[in-house]
Amino acid sequence: MSDEFDLDILKTVKAPRPDAQTRDRAMREALAAFDDEKKSAATQGSASGSRLMTILQRSWSTILETLSKGRLMSGTAIATILAVPLAGYLAFMVMNDGYRPNLTGSQPMELAADQSQRADDRARREVARPAPEPAPREAEERDRAIVLSEAMPQAAPPASYIQQGAALNKRSLVGDGSAKVMPGMERLSRDRFESFETSSVRAVLEDPVSTFSIDVDTASYAVVRRALMEGRLPDPDSVRVEELINYFNYAYPLPDSREAPFGVNVSVSPTPWNADTKLMHIGIQGYDIVPSERPAANLVFLIDVSGSMDAPDKLPLLKSAFRLLLDKLDSRDTVSIVTYSGNAGTVLEPTKADEREKILEAIDTLQPGGTTAGAAGIEQAYKLARQARVEGGVNRVMLATDGDFNVGASSDEELKRIIEDERDDGIFLSVFGFGKGNYNDQLMQVLAQNGNGTAAYIDTLAEAQKTLVEEAGSTLFPIAKDVKIQVEFNPETVAEYRLIGYETRALNREDFNNDRVDAGDIGSGHSVAAIYEITPVGSPAVQNDPLRYGAADQAAASGDGSNEYAFLKLRYKLPDETKSHLITTPVGPEFDKASLAGLSTDARFSIAVAAFGQKLRDTDAVANYSWDEIRELAAGARGADPYGYRSEFLRLIGLAESLDR
Amino acid sequence: MMTITEDALSPSDAIAGDGDQALAVRASAGDREAFARLLERHYDTIHRIAWRWCGDGTEADDIAQDVAVKLGRAISGWRAEASFPSWLYRIVLNTVRDRQRARASERRRVEAYAVQSLVDAQGGGGADDDPAARLWSAVGSLPDRQRDAVLLVHGEGLSHDEAAGVMGVSEGTVSFHIHEAKKKLRTMMQASEDELS
Repeated sequence: MSDEFDLDILKTVKAPRPDAQTRDRAMREALAAFDDEKKSAATQGSASGSRLMTILQRSWSTILETLSKGRLMSGTAIATILAVPLAGYLAFMVMNDGYRPNLTGSQPMELAADQSQRADDRARREVARPAPEPAPREAEERDRAIVLSEAMPQAAPPASYIQQGAALNKRSLVGDGSAKVMPGMERLSRDRFESFETSSVRAVLEDPVSTFSIDVDTASYAVVRRALMEGRLPDPDSVRVEELINYFNYAYPLPDSREAPFGVNVSVSPTPWNADTKLMHIGIQGYDIVPSERPAANLVFLIDVSGSMDAPDKLPLLKSAFRLLLDKLDSRDTVSIVTYSGNAGTVLEPTKADEREKILEAIDTLQPGGTTAGAAGIEQAYKLARQARVEGGVNRVMLATDGDFNVGASSDEELKRIIEDERDDGIFLSVFGFGKGNYNDQLMQVLAQNGNGTAAYIDTLAEAQKTLVEEAGSTLFPIAKDVKIQVEFNPETVAEYRLIGYETRALNREDFNNDRVDAGDIGSGHSVAAIYEITPVGSPAVQNDPLRYGAADQAAASGDGSNEYAFLKLRYKLPDETKSHLITTPVGPEFDKASLAGLSTDARFSIAVAAFGQKLRDTDAVANYSWDEIRELAAGARGADPYGYRSEFLRLIGLAESLDR
Repeated sequence: MMTITEDALSPSDAIAGDGDQALAVRASAGDREAFARLLERHYDTIHRIAWRWCGDGTEADDIAQDVAVKLGRAISGWRAEASFPSWLYRIVLNTVRDRQRARASERRRVEAYAVQSLVDAQGGGGADDDPAARLWSAVGSLPDRQRDAVLLVHGEGLSHDEAAGVMGVSEGTVSFHIHEAKKKLRTMMQASEDELS
């Protein structure tokens, strides 16, 4: 064999023709996605509206896709073990996932409702596209068909149900026994995460300004932790790096005067994973409202008691969490409870929080059952919130659900509008996600974002303790809303930059000064970090070649000899204001730290978390930075860690390492 | 060269094509017609790329479908300063990688359950007599980045610079990956040659 063999012969490998039916379907679905996307442009958050665009109508069709493509899909994997009885494989997965089918009580009702919804959806899909073959009849049959067609090596891809209908005629090959587990199967993979692309490196000369909304949600961390604890790497789309970072409490310094509700701290340091770039770390620390001065709270709990909540990590956990929260409230506050299932119902009229017995009794009566009718519930909740409104206080609806939020007759757009209207009227919405299996991360995010609230995911009592007790202040009492950050980089010192995380929170440049554009909120005592990786001019890490034409002119034009890295601008509104305030900070060389050791432990820890999140998302920048190095950095920045969150993080690094072969 | 019957563009045209760029600009501004034409024109290319990367026709159909839907969602966020073809490559490659990652973890579960009945379906392909096919399947076993670099440059005919744009790394890094890949491929091809003889 010759030493220099010809790689170009690769070009001669012929690709097969795409399947025509799949192609047609892909075209139609792409156009539908395109139309959906257009409809939902111009909402908060990402420039492409990626989080907001798809709530319910789309989700049903995509769930059906993901269902087939998710777990059961796994074509090759299953194809390779035809000898394994399917039922056994399912049982194994069920055990592995800790999935407990709810076959008691009112569960059948819920399943039935599920199926009729699917049937509706199927009907819609069939209207949308002519079905070439007998349409699939029952969900179970369809599922069986999926498994079968996946298991059968065959030419035509079974990518849609319509086509799977065609594959039904092969189903006799699979014993009937397997079909019975199928309805449960669907419930295994209904967690839904919006996919998004990791931010890319931007050249300062072309795109000097970066704008985004603050994100204080923490849901992503709990989802990632759960995945790792269960022995699997999290879905990259479920990893939002900024939410991992902001899960932890940091104590960045506060400014001397209390004119602004928070302090902004900037530092520039070497990048642990790249010797040729620097990190610009922005830490925001909100004031803690003194407990005696905190405003009165009017909280309405909107609790999902549908059949799907009947699992130890759902309703029972919620009840315990709720008791914990009650300890943080006193006679100034009122609590109401609305449940929603088959019918929305008020369980507890607005009640002073010091009437503990009455409230606890109401909590104890909560029983799971029935289907989810979210829309009626949410209207009821807002009604009670208005009834017990505290002027100048906190009025908040707290939605607790496992994500199966069926809005009934009203559309998602309508639901969003209700939430936005109420928000403008001073009633905010927070979302607490429970359980898994059909957790709808995407919808929860959308609801909380539009309602000026946080979305948190509660999987353990410890997590409830963290969210509802230790951080009750930040969860309940906002100190600033619509917080946006805009950074303008100086082309004389910075060649390229990359914002770590916040992909789904990107804003347009002009949105920064537009007070009508909604953004994230900061609660009492909240701390938030944003990190840019910047490549100084002249660094060997620069990825974009200099422009041959025009670039020199531009640099000269802006050249006032400044050695600043960037100019940081931050806008916020006080909770009851509609006009924003502006804070600006030029980031000059005085912010430079010669080594990571020069940073606060908090900043170092947040950088370790950033590296961890990026690695889970398989980001190129950290490809050569090992799990060990991340662990070392985090371990050195653990600090006091009174509640052990940071130690837990260190354990997660170990788990991720062992799973990431 | 591969025969291009329906592909509107050969790979290198795809990088240069400014018709695409214009359509993409219109599509990102919400022009449905432009988007439809763009997708129509590139669907086969997407499928071809997907197939080259994953080596399975059915899988390539699924990937192409995923990519098409992703494009529908993402086109409004596309900015004219990015080259459309590099952007397209990036989306296809990311989709392939995500699916393979998901599949790898699925495979681990299955293996845990049924080690004894596991048969490697990939192993015994019948195309061993064709040196190109043999090389290609060897390329498939390279680490992701090396495989991407080799397929982009030698399979798709992009320049190192264009491949760097797609992969989001520097040109030097692409050359390095290809260099490393060649070293590995040489060993692999040598070994399979020995087996054959």
